[in-house]
Amino acid sequence: MQRDIRLDLAVDAWQGRFQAMGSPCEVVSEARKRRDALEVTSLVAAEAWRIEDKFSRYLDGNIVDRINSAAGRPVEVDNETADLLDFAVTLYRLSEHRFDITSGVLRRVWRFDGSDKVPGSESVGEVLQWVGWHRVDWRRPVLAMPHGMEIDFGGIGKEYAVDRCAGLIKELDGDPCLVNFGGDLVATQAPGRRRSWKVAIEGDTAAAPDRIIDLKQGALATSGDARRFLLRDGIRYSHILDPTTGWPIRDAPRSITIAADSCVEAGMISTLAILKGAAAEHFLEAQDVAYWCRR
Amino acid sequence: MRRTIGVAAAALLFCAGCSSMGVEPWERDILAKDEMQLTTDELEAATDDHIYFSKEASSGGRGFGGGGCGCN
Amino acid sequence: MSRKENCSISAALAAATCTLLGSGVPAPVDAQEEPLWDFNTSLLYYGEDGDRVKDFSVSAIARRMFVDDRFLTLSLTVDGLTGATPSGAIRQDVPQTFTRPSGNAAYTVPPEVLPLDDTFKDTRVALGAGWQQPVGETSLINVGASASREYDYTHVGVNAKMARDFNQRNTTLSAGFAYSFDSLDPVGGAPTPLTPMLDVGDTSNRLGDQDKDVLDLIIGITQVLSRNLVVQANYSYSKSDGYLTDPYKVLSLVDGTTGDTLLRTLTPGVAGPSHQFLFENRPGERTKHSIYGQVKYYMNGKVLDASYRYMTDDWDIDSHTVDLRYRIPFGADSYFEPHLRFYTQSEAEFYQLSIPDSQPLPGFASADYRLGNFDAITAGLKYGWRTRNDNEMSVRVEAYRQSGTVPSSQIIGNQAARDNYPDLNAVIVQVGYRF
Repeated sequence: MQRDIRLDLAVDAWQGRFQAMGSPCEVVSEARKRRDALEVTSLVAAEAWRIEDKFSRYLDGNIVDRINSAAGRPVEVDNETADLLDFAVTLYRLSEHRFDITSGVLRRVWRFDGSDKVPGSESVGEVLQWVGWHRVDWRRPVLAMPHGMEIDFGGIGKEYAVDRCAGLIKELDGDPCLVNFGGDLVATQAPGRRRSWKVAIEGDTAAAPDRIIDLKQGALATSGDARRFLLRDGIRYSHILDPTTGWPIRDAPRSITIAADSCVEAGMISTLAILKGAAAEHFLEAQDVAYWCRR
Repeated sequence: MRRTIGVAAAALLFCAGCSSMGVEPWERDILAKDEMQLTTDELEAATDDHIYFSKEASSGGRGFGGGGCGCN
Repeated sequence: MSRKENCSISAALAAATCTLLGSGVPAPVDAQEEPLWDFNTSLLYYGEDGDRVKDFSVSAIARRMFVDDRFLTLSLTVDGLTGATPSGAIRQDVPQTFTRPSGNAAYTVPPEVLPLDDTFKDTRVALGAGWQQPVGETSLINVGASASREYDYTHVGVNAKMARDFNQRNTTLSAGFAYSFDSLDPVGGAPTPLTPMLDVGDTSNRLGDQDKDVLDLIIGITQVLSRNLVVQANYSYSKSDGYLTDPYKVLSLVDGTTGDTLLRTLTPGVAGPSHQFLFENRPGERTKHSIYGQVKYYMNGKVLDASYRYMTDDWDIDSHTVDLRYRIPFGADSYFEPHLRFYTQSEAEFYQLSIPDSQPLPGFASADYRLGNFDAITAGLKYGWRTRNDNEMSVRVEAYRQSGTVPSSQIIGNQAARDNYPDLNAVIVQVGYRF
């Protein structure tokens, strides 16, 4: 996997780019000197790769791997992992158990490749026995879960990384920056050289054209199923699964973008909204957040 | 006529030599303001172009002249 | 889930996020969707004094933004013209009667009054469309089309322009072209050039439809000189081919000594011109060259916009234009902008006040005041402000005055005692709204 950084001057700001967490990442910086822009991008890339290495389910030996291969034995975790687990618990409750970091094992029967291979209810029923946070024994700092279950921080990881990086940039007390990890982004400050950061929300082309958001500061995060889905008998199965049933959430919007003070908050509101399926807009109206929803 | 082309060519060559002049990308704040654009109001400029094209023998300059009308 | 329960979700989430990130209260988010459409609209009144031309016009330009800095522009203008325009005939001490361009009726002009033809009550509709997009990192391309229609005139055209940035966007070179094809279907038909104006009902000296095409080329350079100063220089070339004559304009045929317009014998019972008038004729080709320079200078909130244009063509017309605008902010949300424009042009080679019968008929001749020797000045004031719903509104009022001189070599006999050049005084009022 490529771990290099590219730095270019794009119009009137520096644009540093690298790959992390399976997404193209960029840091747009209003630094004056190239070396300041490189310093900020390197700092962000280092933190992104650190979080990726620590919490990725694909790497052997990291904390997630140790938890997932513990086979029922208790594992003691560090503070950062403990904080993320506590956060996951809050989300589990706020979402009425639909946001569940143990639901990753459902990928054993659901493969969202755009085909029509929808699993049968028997195989879904079988894998469900290894899904459910209620089966996990979490007493900080020790986690124990039954053999066969797995945790996956994929639903929180990117937004968390974005906010961590924004915090590091603010500590540097430098020029305004925009940190964007594949569409989950935060602006550390309002830009100095133009009226706002311009962020495009992709549309479907003719029916739903692209929209442009003028972001002065704050975060944007998007949840959606634009690319990963199954299509069979005219029914579109979104990749967002309901862990309580093992089946996709029904009538979820195609895409929800939220603006909030932090990327984690924006990401979690958009996730909670998508999990509401048909009631997504109703939920978002009640939250008093800026949102853009596409069906 | 030839003199005009000569003057125009000289002016453009002089400007091409301006390659070392200008500002750094972060000094473009004033230049980015609406009122510093070369054409501030497109509709007002088009209106003037059209009026003067109808009443005088010259047209254009800034862009393509007004035109395309049987204006009297 | 009830509304109250929903609200507590975001509050709980906000609190949990704070705990996770360990930071203090972050700055509140500020995100607005950018409107995809941009509109620029205006109402215009143009009014010359006396019975001369008055124009009302409504215009709108709509611009739609697409991702990656691509734009679609659509424009519409509707113009309603009334009033009269000088026909090219000179004043006389006696009444003069003319046949209308349609050939169906006649009109009479009192003594000492400049002959004006008021046939031009007309509505014009003009449409335009354009597409702009970046090409690579440093270039921009624009393509467009235009069309307009009046009862006697149709225009279609295409245009394209390319611009490239150099030097960290401090220098921009651009080049463009426009091609238009216009066709005229004059009321009554285009008259055979330099033939006499005939009686009412006599259309024997008429030709059919006419057309012309115009090719415009432009190259330019824009250069940032400092944080507050940007300049532009352009060179344009324009070539027109085809019917360039004004089908409605005439010249008075005058006595070579007295300068008075020759009388015409009228057939009893038939209406027609009282004097002898010949329809004008212009060359079938015109090549123009212009150079244009503009400066925009920012001084502590005020902006000076100064430009100069020199034009020369193969009709022997030379012109100079100086345009000055000075924008002065007034409070946080409004501005004043005084405007001054100076214009001067020399007459076309074939411009003449009248045709003396003592000399052979010239190949080309026109008494159209717009091809004559004149100076013009425009003085105006614009006031603009930001409205309560964050849109922009502006009003401008301008006065335009043209005053010309006929070269003394062209003034014959009694013409010297008269005011020959139809000076023009007009008022321009425009209200604009951008949203």
